[in-house]
Amino acid sequence: MLNSIDDVLEALEGERYVAERSLGVAIHLALQLGKPLFLEGEAGVGKTEVAKVLASILDSRLIRLQCYEGLDVNHAVYEWDYPKQMLAIRLIEAGGGGERVEVDDIMSRDYLVPRPLLQAVEASAGGERPVLLIDELDRADEEFEAYLLELLSDFQVTIPEIGTIVADQPPVIVLTSNRTREIHDALKRRCIYHWIEYPDFDREVAIVMRKVPNVPEALAADLARAMETLRTMDLYKPPGVAETLDWAAALAVLGTKRLDPEAVDDTIGVILKYQEDIERVRSGGTEQLLASAG
Amino acid sequence: MTDLQPLADPLIHNLVHFTRLLRAQGLRGVPETTVAMLEAAEAVGLSDRDDVYYAFRAVVVARPEEVQLFDQAFELFFGSGRRWSPMEPIELKVHPRGPRAHVIAPTSLAADIGGEEPSEVSDEAGASAVTRLSKRDFADLTPEEYVQVQRLIARMVWQPADTKSRRWEPSRSGSRPDLRRTLRGLIGPSGDMMPLSMSGPKARRRPLLVLADVSGSMERYTEMLLYFVHAARGRLGRVEAFVFSTNLHRITRQLAHRDPKVALARVGGAVHDWSSGTLIGDALADFNRNWSRRIVRGGPVALIISDGWDRGDSDLLRTEMATFARNVHRVVWLNPLAGRSGFAPDTRGMRTVLPFVDDFLPVGTLSDLAAVVRLLESVPKRKR
Repeated sequence: MLNSIDDVLEALEGERYVAERSLGVAIHLALQLGKPLFLEGEAGVGKTEVAKVLASILDSRLIRLQCYEGLDVNHAVYEWDYPKQMLAIRLIEAGGGGERVEVDDIMSRDYLVPRPLLQAVEASAGGERPVLLIDELDRADEEFEAYLLELLSDFQVTIPEIGTIVADQPPVIVLTSNRTREIHDALKRRCIYHWIEYPDFDREVAIVMRKVPNVPEALAADLARAMETLRTMDLYKPPGVAETLDWAAALAVLGTKRLDPEAVDDTIGVILKYQEDIERVRSGGTEQLLASAG
Repeated sequence: MTDLQPLADPLIHNLVHFTRLLRAQGLRGVPETTVAMLEAAEAVGLSDRDDVYYAFRAVVVARPEEVQLFDQAFELFFGSGRRWSPMEPIELKVHPRGPRAHVIAPTSLAADIGGEEPSEVSDEAGASAVTRLSKRDFADLTPEEYVQVQRLIARMVWQPADTKSRRWEPSRSGSRPDLRRTLRGLIGPSGDMMPLSMSGPKARRRPLLVLADVSGSMERYTEMLLYFVHAARGRLGRVEAFVFSTNLHRITRQLAHRDPKVALARVGGAVHDWSSGTLIGDALADFNRNWSRRIVRGGPVALIISDGWDRGDSDLLRTEMATFARNVHRVVWLNPLAGRSGFAPDTRGMRTVLPFVDDFLPVGTLSDLAAVVRLLESVPKRKR
């Protein structure tokens, strides 16, 4: 069903995800060539959302791995079920006769707890085509990146006690990074790369209208214009699209029809999370936001 | 979706040439790139120029900074929008081996170190020569001595202090039971005892962050100190380096080349405000705002190399220095003038930053550099 770039864009649209054409091309390529999709961009531009929407379009399971520093095989690939293993050992010993515990007794598939990467490989090996989201890869350390490189090149997991599980058809893989550090080129090279920009004015209005119910178009336009200004203001943490949506939702709850100084003042904490940034906007910036909002 | 076969030849021809152009632009351009673009062309078709552009970009570019270079190459090769005929043979004169003129313009710094190396500097100059050289101020070295000192820097032994990582490894004295190994230990001949395997945090090296002042007042030291930073990068791996005078420039990528001459020449090409004035506060503000969250991971030790001659606003310097010091594990300030007799850190800039500095050391001579390396071996585990 997704045989062209237009099909992809239409399907995204159907899931209320407003995408640039370049992102549509990247997704199309990733699906057609069976390569992972590597998405980078500032926080809150909708990288993770792409994976969720893809899973929903393809009507497949979303398997998510959230990365963090120190993420290791036990949490990313598989872990043994220790309590169950202990029980098994007890049972064998209680059987009397001084039986020895063998590897197969406690180290078979029954005692394995699959973590996201193994889940994805197993599901693919079983004929499914799940969407595997490896989120915020920049938070993991280089050691994990090296492991991932291996997994992405042959889609197989080896468990010494059990054997190798191979996925004939790779899952749909989406990797995201906020760029808190550079990801190694070797890994990026195996992927289709796309940098998600902040949306332009029209697209941001469209996103707000699509995603937040009960927002008048005039307010959506005010917000999009204010956001454009905020993102050029040299803040510690410029607000992303996620913040625009939060802001729109907050203002919708308050029943605001147009953005005015009072509304900005009441709700600024929804979009700016650093005290320095809030002060910067309050001291002279508020008018700037509204001036541009006309 | 077109069958590639009938249209393969001219397209392959063009993409091979385009790949060479990409390489000349400093992008990734290897046979694999050509293959990736062919696959991409097959997936999106060739009729729409924009789609082909996006598709090629997605398989060639690996970071946003490269988009502009890619755009230039694409435009240059396939022409601007009017005529879109990717199937007609395109010939472009490309000199892939030529210098990347738009990126690297050799400066005096590059020229200096790119010069002929004095041929016979005896490596066996002996311990006495080393001792003599190690106390000489970099600014007073003869050209021969200069090269000798550079060699000695390249040979320094680095053993910086480790810190705990968030990874765990088997350890007898560890604090956490390692259930995987414990259970494995139960297999085989059984006993009544169940030996508990333990694990403890794995050691890791703290990253090093260097901010080097390259303003006019530092001129006579800049090159040698960058040489030192290059050596540190070679030995330690995780080193992020920046230079500043009126602006801040990240030079980590340029320094990555193994050959210090090439690396320093690249730095020379990438930085445009050598030897101008110093705005330390502005440079730190730039760092805190635009780089801190990307660079400051894993509690780095920060080396700031500067004589503290600051022309900027001292209130700004104070706030930005405070933020900077909060974000790193330790601030080491290296001042090339500090080793001179009668030196007191009483410039306005120096007085402003000193409260936030953990270690203040001179870096005017080789033995000063050795002292810095030793300091890094004994960086305390706790932040001050």
